[in-house]
Amino acid sequence: MTTTWHADPAALAAYVEGSLDDVRASSLEAHLLTCDRCREGIATSTAADAIDHVWGSIVDTIDTPHRSAVERLLLALRVPEHLARLLVATPSLRLSWLVAEALALGFAVIAANGTSGQDEELVLFLFLVVAALLPVAGVAVAFGPGIDPTYEVAAAAPMPADRLLLIRAAAVLASSVSITALAALALPDLDAIAAAWLLPALGLTAATLALGTWVRPLVAAASVALTWVLFAAAAAVSTQDRLAAFRPAGQVACLAVIAASAAVLAHRHTLSEGRIVR
Amino acid sequence: MSAPTVEIHDVRKRFGRTTALQGVTFDVAAGITGLLGPNGAGKTTLLRMMATVLAPDDGRLRLLSWDPQVADERLAIRRRLGYMPQEPGFHRSFTAFEFVDYVAILKEMTERRARHDEVRRVLDLVGLEGVSGRKIKALSGGMRRRVALAQSLLGDPDLLVLDEPTAGLDPEQRLRFRELVSDRTADRTVILSTHQTEDVAALCQRVIVMLDGQVLFEGTPRELTQVADGRVWLADDRAAGARLSWRTADGAHRNIGEAPSDADLVAPTLEDGYLLLVGDRAFAEEAA
Repeated sequence: MTTTWHADPAALAAYVEGSLDDVRASSLEAHLLTCDRCREGIATSTAADAIDHVWGSIVDTIDTPHRSAVERLLLALRVPEHLARLLVATPSLRLSWLVAEALALGFAVIAANGTSGQDEELVLFLFLVVAALLPVAGVAVAFGPGIDPTYEVAAAAPMPADRLLLIRAAAVLASSVSITALAALALPDLDAIAAAWLLPALGLTAATLALGTWVRPLVAAASVALTWVLFAAAAAVSTQDRLAAFRPAGQVACLAVIAASAAVLAHRHTLSEGRIVR
Repeated sequence: MSAPTVEIHDVRKRFGRTTALQGVTFDVAAGITGLLGPNGAGKTTLLRMMATVLAPDDGRLRLLSWDPQVADERLAIRRRLGYMPQEPGFHRSFTAFEFVDYVAILKEMTERRARHDEVRRVLDLVGLEGVSGRKIKALSGGMRRRVALAQSLLGDPDLLVLDEPTAGLDPEQRLRFRELVSDRTADRTVILSTHQTEDVAALCQRVIVMLDGQVLFEGTPRELTQVADGRVWLADDRAAGARLSWRTADGAHRNIGEAPSDADLVAPTLEDGYLLLVGDRAFAEEAA
């Protein structure tokens, strides 16, 4: 297409430099779109790295991975972009897993609301035992050999496998605790006992991670889960109080487990020194 | 040989009752080294050690002059290491781009824009730029191997450990692979295992033949070929002294083994040398 007038060379030079004011730059751009001669005029004087930069941005926008609902949520929560990418590959952070957690707790809440007296206490007991176990299950499948298909590649990468596991475990714990807290709000007779799963959940998760210093995450989680169920049942039977494990003495025991696990995790580096892959 | 970048001294490894490596010793210098050997010879075990994902039970291992058993030194190695496992796993719902991007994050490339540039660079290198947005589960086997190869090239590592990189590649892709690996500057170290003797002949400066967890041969491809000097001949029929014999396209039998004095000797290939070496050992074991 040809036009009858052409842009002033000084204006073109100012445009290329980026020093032309917005109004004139916009009018010049409209002209450039239709005028071959003026486009040619600026083609040679435009810095190659500026073109590369623009082209790079375009390619990058095209390549930017599709973000799942979970990843968008993580980014909205100000999780750094690269950490969010590492988290979306976590099986126990997928939407399906989170929905399953919500459903499991939802049924318990519905059951608790539909019963009374002894039965209600039994449902509450089950709710609390399961609520404490949910993050343990999530951590068990968060990262490890045989769980993450890219484990072999990840094991040879500079980012320590331990750190990747801890990052994922923290995210799993946060999601699980949030869902459980919402479910607990719907429990009948809302009182302190409705929050009694929190310390056990933290304690069991910490114990799973600590035990993971020596055994695989799945083995660690299974051992912790079994110990927890036996402990809660034994406490209930021996004291004639179904919720004994969740009373103050049990909570103190959980605090002790958290402290011991934290000590193990802090020294994990030296404890597992010399071993490359578990 | 220039200063070794990988030193392996009397390295041993057992898995339960199975002995995978029974005292392996050799050095590797910059350049391309090929590991040849039948299945179960211990190649993958050795490569996993060089990739810092497996520790030896006994023996000494130094990679880029660091000790992989010491945490700080292991990290230093991993920062200069590229590793393509034999059976690389993928998050199958990731695209090729997303997968390589994921590994780039594990390789401490946190800045998004620079990381994406690097991901594009390695995908271009393996010829996958056109399918980078496709999900891995929709890619062919050969393409998946190339995705695995691409991630190993991230950050242009000093030490590149490739476990059967050409398995499942078609002839054209294999040629492209050779081009890609041999293009790398001479001060880098590449160690690859393969079943393709042509790859070793075409690509490697050094070759190590392994059998039953031991090193059977260490030398240049030419030296391995020379093992079969005077032991390959053509005849009308399968010869009596031949360990292996097959009818070639033009009707003559190519025999490998102890040639009779009047044999019509032909120039051996690296494959002949390899077959004789491995066959001699098996033969000796049978006799013992």
